Amino acid sequence: MSKNTPERRAARAQRAAEALKAQQAAERKRNLMVGGAVGAVVLVIIGLLYFALNAKDDTGKNAKDEPTIAANGEIAGEIDGFGVVVGDPGAPDTVTIYEDLQCPACASLETQVGEQVAAAIAEGRIRVDYRMVSFLDRASTNDYSSRAMNALLVVLEEAGPDAFLKLHDDLYANQPGEGGAGFEDDELIDRAVQAGAVEADIRPGIEDKVYDQWIKNATDQMSKDGVNATPTIRINGEDADGQKLVELLQK
Amino acid sequence: MKDWIGLVARLVTGGVWLVAGALKLPDPASSVRAVRAYDLLPEAVVPTVGHLLPAIEVAIGLLLVLGVLTRFASVVSALLFIAFIIGIASAWARGLQIDCGCFGGGGYDAEAESKYPWDIARDVGLLALSGWLVVRPRSKWALDRLLFRSTSDLSCDERNVHVEEHA
Repeated sequence: MSKNTPERRAARAQRAAEALKAQQAAERKRNLMVGGAVGAVVLVIIGLLYFALNAKDDTGKNAKDEPTIAANGEIAGEIDGFGVVVGDPGAPDTVTIYEDLQCPACASLETQVGEQVAAAIAEGRIRVDYRMVSFLDRASTNDYSSRAMNALLVVLEEAGPDAFLKLHDDLYANQPGEGGAGFEDDELIDRAVQAGAVEADIRPGIEDKVYDQWIKNATDQMSKDGVNATPTIRINGEDADGQKLVELLQK
Repeated sequence: MKDWIGLVARLVTGGVWLVAGALKLPDPASSVRAVRAYDLLPEAVVPTVGHLLPAIEVAIGLLLVLGVLTRFASVVSALLFIAFIIGIASAWARGLQIDCGCFGGGGYDAEAESKYPWDIARDVGLLALSGWLVVRPRSKWALDRLLFRSTSDLSCDERNVHVEEHA
């Protein structure tokens, strides 16, 4: 008769509380599962991106082609690690210059001291260790920085240090501005020929960008050497600047 | 109102992460060099960090913009900002002149000295927004609300009913 006895009410409240507890437990479980599943998807996305970036970055892979130096002309040269060292091995001072062919500050350094450097090399007063690197491909629409460096290395291999230095100075004197298109391969080949290379010798190497991997590794080595700026100048291994280089050249 | 602040915090912080990460994807080698330029980590882990950071940045950006796992993403976001602030401050203190590499690039920057304070100020601001979301992850238009919808509390808890109605 009396359905609402205190005992029944208490029992009903307890059942309701238990049901709620069960529902809350089920919900917690569901939320944990959803959270876990979403978390797993996120980890997979991070993993895929990481492996894609890792695969894309081929820094440090063995370079198939490494530049050598044609032994002709008047100026001696050798490859030392990632340095192109030109000038008389008996010269009293060695100047190391890290530079990128697209770097405006390098062009202004070359404008300032290029002729004196060329004269000092020719007279056997200094050797220059050119540490060419390429990290400014993004500054042109056609990867000028690395293609120009490759062209220089091809000229070095096929025509020797004289032509290399001529083309090097020419490319800095006429450096394409940042933000636009740099010289195309044909223009680089024309300039290389003017510097003394034979077109048939250099065209394949320039068009195939044979030293691409070597260039990437050279750029990585600069970063490992703790060099973050171009131009960076060292004189006999000591950090120096344009001013010190000028003083050395006028010595 | 607080839900709207949460939404703004999510979109600003998440948007910055997405852009910062995406800009680094085309050139992983440059990202590695940017990490190395700080000269803080051992060389053995530099390439891994250089490749992992853009991936994490994109993922955290996505989570925050969509409002998925908001609290977890904000904790990671806040920790990363703390790490970046320390990194930039340390580069500044050691007299390094490097671009922070925050949005790609990195390496030498002649005007670095004048940029460090702004980089740090920006990261402190974004850290504050991340902190808000850690403390109060609830926000407008977050997928979290669909994913982790409450079923049990509806009938029993007046306050939740109220909140759900306004959601």
